[in-house]
Amino acid sequence: MTLATFILKNALRNQRRALLSISSVAVSLFLLVTLQVALRELTLPPASAGAELRVAVRNKISITTMLPARQRGVIEKIPGVAAVSPFTLFWGKFRNEEGLSFAQIAMDPTKLQSLFGEARMDAVSYTRFAATKDACVLGKITADKYHLNIGDLITLESTVFPGSLSFHIAGIYSGTPDDRNMLFRQDYLDESIGQPGYVGMWWLKVKSAADMAPVVKAINAGFENTSAEVRAESERNFQLSFMSMLGNIKTLIASLCAVVVFTLVLVSASTMSMAVRERFRELAILKALGFRRRELFAFILAESFGLAAAGAIVGIGGTWLLYSHTAALAVILALTTAAFFILAVRHVLRKEYLPLTIYLVSALILADWTAWFAAHPSVLAMTRGVFISFEVTPRIMGCTALVAALLGIVCAVAPALSVARMSVVNGLKTLD
Amino acid sequence: MAEPIVQIRELTKIYAQGEIQVTALDRISLDIAAGEFLALMGPSGSGKSTLLHIIAGVDRPTRGACLVQGVNVTRLNESELADWRNHNVGFIFQTFNLIPVLTAAENVELPLLLTRMGRAHRRRQVETALELVGLADRARHLPRQLSGGQEQRVAIARALVTDPALIVADEPTGNLDSHSAHEVLGVLQSLRQDAGKTIILVTHDPKAAAFGTRQIHLEKGELKE
Repeated sequence: MTLATFILKNALRNQRRALLSISSVAVSLFLLVTLQVALRELTLPPASAGAELRVAVRNKISITTMLPARQRGVIEKIPGVAAVSPFTLFWGKFRNEEGLSFAQIAMDPTKLQSLFGEARMDAVSYTRFAATKDACVLGKITADKYHLNIGDLITLESTVFPGSLSFHIAGIYSGTPDDRNMLFRQDYLDESIGQPGYVGMWWLKVKSAADMAPVVKAINAGFENTSAEVRAESERNFQLSFMSMLGNIKTLIASLCAVVVFTLVLVSASTMSMAVRERFRELAILKALGFRRRELFAFILAESFGLAAAGAIVGIGGTWLLYSHTAALAVILALTTAAFFILAVRHVLRKEYLPLTIYLVSALILADWTAWFAAHPSVLAMTRGVFISFEVTPRIMGCTALVAALLGIVCAVAPALSVARMSVVNGLKTLD
Repeated sequence: MAEPIVQIRELTKIYAQGEIQVTALDRISLDIAAGEFLALMGPSGSGKSTLLHIIAGVDRPTRGACLVQGVNVTRLNESELADWRNHNVGFIFQTFNLIPVLTAAENVELPLLLTRMGRAHRRRQVETALELVGLADRARHLPRQLSGGQEQRVAIARALVTDPALIVADEPTGNLDSHSAHEVLGVLQSLRQDAGKTIILVTHDPKAAAFGTRQIHLEKGELKE
């Protein structure tokens, strides 16, 4: 026997309690990881290959205030600017849906490739988009979600512009961090609303990273003291300013995370204290045999840490499988289902009907889950394209593992202190 | 009398229970020779367990000195005392106090985990200890798979596995039937005779005390030899 064996045997002496403790830690950490992943999904602007060279220009008053179309000529003449396109949000509803399920943006089709070079789409689609006035290109996620193909006609009813517009799908793109958007032609929008001479925003690309700051400065200065002052900023900063509007949601999720951790500490500390309290007599015997305080503390710490680590492996690992490797989860579930069926068959042979029923029902439930996960092999598929970056990153796993490690330590402190304070004689008195 | 292994001088233990002070031991002086089997008798509350605990280094006196093998155990700090107990004293309790999740062999091995002994050496020591108490064939049994007498013999094996000079037993036959009690006392007696161990036995039972080479009585914290 080694000290490790001794600790393991002690930790697993009450297997039901150990299992429940591990499960409570696992479920809480599962929730904690999910909250962090959701927070990341809500607050992290998708990183894009060309984002560092792109500039967003909006009206200084507010994002919803339009900009005059004549500004384009001024911006194009600024040294360092490679391409400029209008960028007008249509705010259209699709198929009588309640909310806006994807963004529709009016732009200059000839600038699509130069502005968003990371988008993958065949050359024919680019040509078709540039040549047809009512053409649009659609992100793959949205196309898959609504089963739309090239050539299909879609109609959108705008919530800000009068009337509705119909579009022919000229191409389907992928490869951008957010393949949900629909892009269509600004001139088509202008024509339908009577050539107002305004656009929503400007989106432009600079020639090099060194041009970014001077271009932003020149644009802001160029329209100062005009009827439409602008605010130019890098695409990244623009996205982050958008995210700052979610401040309350961030606080709410952070508060929920804190509540989960606090509850977890209380429950685990109570369980650990109870587990040690029940063994006071044995710990007194160990003291009598020559075990010192620090060795007993090490036992308690190792046990507490071990339970937290087991919970962390199940909780974080489960979340990681579910959100980042859903296909692998389906395989694991399939294997577990098969194992349960085999166990059920064994009980048929033994004519043990209660375990047979339990294993059979469990296997059927697992088989149903397996089929569902096999049909939805990613969070993207599960949420029908709503969540696109719902994944467990190493940073989230690390943070949660740290929480679990601290939990293991914190829960060991109170029982260890009471054991340290316990005299051998008092401990022995609890024996008889 | 042989060289004393335990020398107790003017030993006093007073327990404070609120404002009331209870004198458990009152200026006791006693020598216990090496290789002696001392039976410590007395009614409940006479102080015999307190005396045993102080000799074994698990309790501290209010006043006085207690030298075991020349070491004044009352002056050792907590950590030194734990180390000293591990090497010099073997404990046997009335309620056996084996760890229920460990086998007989693992229970016996427990005190050796604190030493620098290698695994193979530890295994040999455990086998020897279990053979000495006649339980070599029960090494892999859990405590719940043993009878009371067997459990107590495992506890004896655990007490002697570190080869201490002194073995203290606090009513080791209190929970046993007469046959098992006789077996356990026989093992203790042979440990004295064959291995030269010094045994201090606390008991109410005159039959158990008869196994000792000397009997002393405690009454109200005072010695009546």
